[in-house]
Parts: sequence; C-alpha cells; structure tokens
Amino acid sequence: MIRKRIAYFENRQDPEAVCSRCRMCELICAFHHHQVGNPGRACIRVISLGQGEDIPVTCLNCEKPPCMDICPTGALHRDESVGMVLVKKDLCIGCAMCVNVCPVGAVTLDLVEGVAAKCDLCGGDPQCVAYCPAKVLKLTDADQLARYRMKEFAKFMKTQVGEN
Amino acid sequence: MSIFAGGYAGKILYVNLTDGSIEKRPLERDFALKYVGGRGFSSRILWDELETKTDPLSPDNRLIIAAGPLNGTPTPSASRLVVAAKSPLTGILGDTNSGGYFSPELKYSGFDAIVLRGRSSSPVYLWVRDGKAELRPAKHLWGHKISETNHLLKEELGDEDIHICAMGPAGENLVRYACVMTDGEGAGGRCGMGAVMGSKNLKAVAVRGSQDVGIADPRRFKEAVDAYRQTLEGEVWTDVLRRLGTANLVEHRQKLGIWGAKNFQRATIEGWEKISGEAFRERFLVKVMGCMGCMVRCRRYSAIKEGPFAPTYAKGPEYDSINPLGAKPYITDPAIILRAHYLCDEYGIDEQTAGSSIAMAMELYERGILTKEQVDGVELVFGNGEALLHFIEKIAYRKGFGDLLAEGTKIMGERLQADYYAIHVKGLEVDASDPRSLPTRALTYAVSTRGSCHLRGFPYIDEFIKPEEAKAYFGTEAVSNLKSLEGKGKMVAWSENWVTIPNLMGVCIFAWNRSRSFPMLIRRGLELMNEIFVATTGLPMTKEQLYHCGERVYNVEKLFNVREGCRRESDYPPRRFFEEELPDGPGKGSKLKREEYDQLLDEYYEARGWDKKTGIPNPETLKVLGVP
Repeated sequence: MIRKRIAYFENRQDPEAVCSRCRMCELICAFHHHQVGNPGRACIRVISLGQGEDIPVTCLNCEKPPCMDICPTGALHRDESVGMVLVKKDLCIGCAMCVNVCPVGAVTLDLVEGVAAKCDLCGGDPQCVAYCPAKVLKLTDADQLARYRMKEFAKFMKTQVGEN
Repeated sequence: MSIFAGGYAGKILYVNLTDGSIEKRPLERDFALKYVGGRGFSSRILWDELETKTDPLSPDNRLIIAAGPLNGTPTPSASRLVVAAKSPLTGILGDTNSGGYFSPELKYSGFDAIVLRGRSSSPVYLWVRDGKAELRPAKHLWGHKISETNHLLKEELGDEDIHICAMGPAGENLVRYACVMTDGEGAGGRCGMGAVMGSKNLKAVAVRGSQDVGIADPRRFKEAVDAYRQTLEGEVWTDVLRRLGTANLVEHRQKLGIWGAKNFQRATIEGWEKISGEAFRERFLVKVMGCMGCMVRCRRYSAIKEGPFAPTYAKGPEYDSINPLGAKPYITDPAIILRAHYLCDEYGIDEQTAGSSIAMAMELYERGILTKEQVDGVELVFGNGEALLHFIEKIAYRKGFGDLLAEGTKIMGERLQADYYAIHVKGLEVDASDPRSLPTRALTYAVSTRGSCHLRGFPYIDEFIKPEEAKAYFGTEAVSNLKSLEGKGKMVAWSENWVTIPNLMGVCIFAWNRSRSFPMLIRRGLELMNEIFVATTGLPMTKEQLYHCGERVYNVEKLFNVREGCRRESDYPPRRFFEEELPDGPGKGSKLKREEYDQLLDEYYEARGWDKKTGIPNPETLKVLGVP
C-alpha cells in the first residue's frame, strides 16, 4: 500500500531551497480548513530550532496509525478514497488520546472546536505544497522518499570516490 | 464580538504605565475607514493625544504599537508592524516599521494596536495573551541585551512561540536613536522608539494569541491573493531581492555613484565588490528567510563561522546596514560590517544613525574639529573598523565619547559648532543614498514626515514610466523624462500617498510596491491591495478612497510637524548638498541648485494643496480629506 504524505525536501547547498520560516504553509492550511487567518489552527507547523534551523512538521500518514488505533470513539478513521486518516468531528469527544500517541505531534485539538484536527491532504491537493514559496514541501510517498535518499547517498558516494 | 466582519480584531489596548491601569476600547468603524490601520492609526492617535511641545522622553509621550487589517491573514507579506511616538531624536512625529511575526501575533492576541502612556516607577514588561494584558516586573531583564532578554522571557512565560518587541541597553540608557527589535531579528530602527520605551521603564512587550483573524469573503479573498501571487511571477525585482536581499543595491549605488560614503565626501567606494550583495551571499549567507507569509524572502540569515568574530549569527545584513556601517565610515571589510550590524541589533541601536554619527565624528576628527583627547584616545579615522565596533558599545552605554555620539548628528553638530557636517533632515540622518545628482530624491528625503527617509516616497517612477502614462497620471509627459523637473513635485506627492498604503495595511512595500512598470504599481499597489482589503474586512472602499486614506494620513503627519514648528525651511536638504559637488563617479560635479529645488518644492506644495510660503496645509485641502 503506497500512502501519500507531505514531506520536506531541503537542499543545504542552496540557501533558497530550505524552509525560510515564512509560515505560509500554516497560514494557508488554516485558511483552507477554517476560512480564517490563524496559524494556531493549522495542521502543519514550522518548528524553529535557532541558528537558522526551521523545519515544517506535519502528519506522516502512518500505515499503522496510533492516533486511529487508540481513538475510543471511532472518530479517527481511515478514508481509503483519500488514503488518509480523517476525523469525524461529530464522533470526536476531544479526549486528546490521539494527540498523546502521535509520534510527531501532528494531531492537535482545534483551538476553537476542541476536537481532533489533523492533515487531510486537502482532499489530494495540499495547499501548503501549492503555496510554499521555497517549493520545499512536496506531496510524496515512502517509495519516492527512499529514492530521493538513495540518490543523495549515491551523490555522496561519488564525492568519496572522487577524492580517492 | 468585533463589529467587523474580518481583518480587525476590533480592540485597542490602552495602558497607563504610571498607575498600571489597563483598558480595552473598541475600534470604531469610522476610524478604521478613514485611517485603515498601522501608521494611519498611530499618526492620528499621536495627533489627537499629544500636546504641543511634549518632551519625547517624558511620561506624557505615547508609544503606539500598531498592526494593520491584513496582518494575521494569508495575504502575502502581511508582516509589518508600526511602532510610533514623538521622536526623541527629531522632536517631530516618529515611527518605525519592522517585519517578522509580531504584528500578526498581536492580532491573534486580540488587539489591533497598543497605546502606552506614562512611566512605570520600576522596570516592567507588558504581557498580552488572548484578550488579556498585564504588566509584570522586569527588573531581572534590565541590562540584558536583546537576545538574552528574549531567551529569559520565553523561559519565564514557558512558551517558545511568544513574540517579543523589546529594547536593549541603548534604550535603557536613552540613546536618542535606540531601536526596538521584534524577536531579536526585525529592527524597528529609526526615530528612537527604543529610547521612548526606556523613558517609560518598559523593557518589552510580549504577545501570544490563538484568536482567529476573520476574512469576510473567503472566496473573493483567495481570488485576489492568487491574482497578486501571479503578478509576482516574473517580477525581476522579486528575484533579485530573494537572491541578494536589499544588499543588491550595493552595485546599483556604486554604478550611479550615490553612496554618500565618508559622510558624503565620496560618491563611490574603492573595493566595493568586497561588500556587495554577491560577496555577502558567498561568504556569510546561511539561508534566505521570509517574514510572515512572504513570497519574496529578502531576509537574510548569516553567520560568521571563522576569524576573530566567530561565531556570530545574525539576521541580515540589509543594504541599510552596509551603507551606514560600511560606506559612511568607509569600511570595506564585510566581516566588520556584519559584526557591527549584529552588535547594533543586540544593544538595540539604530545602525543608520549610529553609523552616520560615527562617520560624522570621523570627518570632524580628520578635520581637526575633534581632538584625539575628545574621542577617548581612539584614532577615529575613516576605515578604522575597530573604532566603529568600539564606539557602538560606547554609544549603547553612553560611555566616554559615546555619550555625545548617542545624541545623533543634529545635536552633535550643535554642540561642536559643526552643523554643516551633520547630514540630516529634521534631525533624521540621510540614509540610503546621496541625492545630489537626483533632485527628486532630494525632495523625497527633505519633505518626509519623519525626517529624511527614502521609504516615505517612491521618486524612481521617472526612471521607467512611459510618456502616455505620465500624461494620464501627472498631466505631463515630462515626468517620463529623467532630466526634466516638470511634474516631479506632483509625482513625489502621488508616490508618498501611494507608498503610505502598505504602511496602513501592515504589508511590506518590497512585496507590494516594487516594480518597474507603472501600470503594475497601480495594479498591485492599489487595485489588488484594495480588493484584498475589501474581501478581508467587508468594509466599503474603492481604490480611489484608499489612495485618499494615504493622503489623509500624510496630511495628519504634516499637521503634527507643523504644530511642532516645522515650516517651509524645514523641508530643505542639508547644506552640503547645495554647496559641495559630488567629487567622483558618474554624477561627478553634480550638486543641488537652490532655484531648482525651490521650484520643485513649490510644485510639490501645490500638488499637495499646502501653502507655498509656509508649507502649512490649506484649510480647503484638509476639508476635502476630512482632517482633522
């Protein structure tokens, strides 16, 4: 099963191709889902680590999603048409069990509605990807990610061989 | 609930630091329609609340922190914050503008603006969170530099996501041009707002919020935002800014010969390549950054990783760091410039006035007007980078000769009887470029309502406007002729009104008002801006009305300065530009001609509807604008 996810692709050789902390991903996510300006309600967050390190984090779309498995009401469920764990708001009781178990912190309780909120890939056309000015957010899957890593590793190997 | 369908938080926070009282007042609809936000709010409130001749460092002065209606929405580049007060440097209207994240967060915290008055008996900071505000003791923060202050505040409040507007040691020591720093990265540099904070015993304002900024018509909003994004595609200026930041201007200044180097004794710089945008990118750039929602991303994040200044991590440098810390003191070592820039940010000093003051002192020292004894035994000559770094620290603590440097060039000129070498207008040092070969720029600098400023107008229109566009907008094709002065006063007045609009909205002029196509200036800077404003707020506004908001705000600012005694003679560039020719570069031999400048100023006043003899706005002008 190939599951889509939003991944962060940076290129440290290019100062323009890294997250520049403009937080447009947060702004457009909250706007798309709630029609307001409020990054606190976004399902993607830019985490700043200082000294120029900024990394956007969002749902990994796990194959065995702990958030769904632990949900006591069945509010979190897999929608196979999107291939994503989604939230049935009317079933959610806001217990935050899902928030507790998510390995990356990508599930939150919505600041206004109080129920679970997480990335839904905007139904297949994620707005954070579309609006990222650095174009470092991409809709991808584990297979493509692995290919990307392999390519980076291959390039690294080539430089090692070159030095010898 | 706010009376606004979107955009505005609907509340202004009033804080009296003397008695600690805090009050929330609703934002009135009429006020929003007439003054929009940001600089419009701050200028009008200063006009209303200050008495004539208020001492800027007295409790009676107001400090206003204002966001605009688009801050907090996904409008591209809606990141700008306005901080305003009567300026301790100039004695007239003062405001400063900073990017980053503070302004949106102020909106999320539930307020459009904060108005502070009085003076606390001991150091405090203001903590604003989700519609609530409290003054908290700040004794433990006093004396700390900007980054330490931010760190301590985040730790104390237990929240890494707060946003902070703080002043550094320079503000505490009432350096007349102490700046405010947002999140340690965005400098609200000019006009000494940090000193006003210092005079109020206010170390910082911290904000955090989770409230929605509403959008009245989401579909219309998205269409307008997408249309705006399209206008940025293929915009050369955007690509250049992303690649090199504002430092791209280094090459431009050199080619035109308008550096103002060596305290305006040179027009070009030998070895300028070492401090170009390319050089800074090559040697120090870690990555490009964007303020909240920015698509342009001109912000730099730089690091010095080797040599005597390692490690230094800093946001920047901007062109307006390289000019005052490089060109003016004639320093071409980029590591020294970056380090000096970092120190200014850490101590909370406006690098433009700091560099200008030190450069002026260098000239006076070389001319023998200042002795070595007077300048603490330092060999204060042009090109001495160590002296620059030495005195930045001395300024922050007002130690030794730093105490005089901390007054800025105007007062230095008065005290040393050397005002000819103080290159300022109304007390604010001439930044950015030397206008001797470009009279329309001289006019822009000289009439600016906060003292010399290259961002208060956009006098470059004559470089690219087409004759037919010039005829349609300014009544004469001559505006498209770079050499002609005809219609230029009108052009400058128009550009001032137009360039004020992003300051009202809270958006960045680099993203909204920069293009070398006149129709694009209208399309993006007026039509799309207005469209986004209407979609966000649901308020009725046309682009013509929006333009008049810019004009209204400019007139209120003028009234403020007239009340403080500014007249026609206040709107002249420094004497040096009339008396000394540019000594080198392509503009060699140029100087301003008094009769030409008189003519420009006449035309400018006429376009504005201000009295030509005095520079005071005519009653009919004010009546049409609905001012005051």
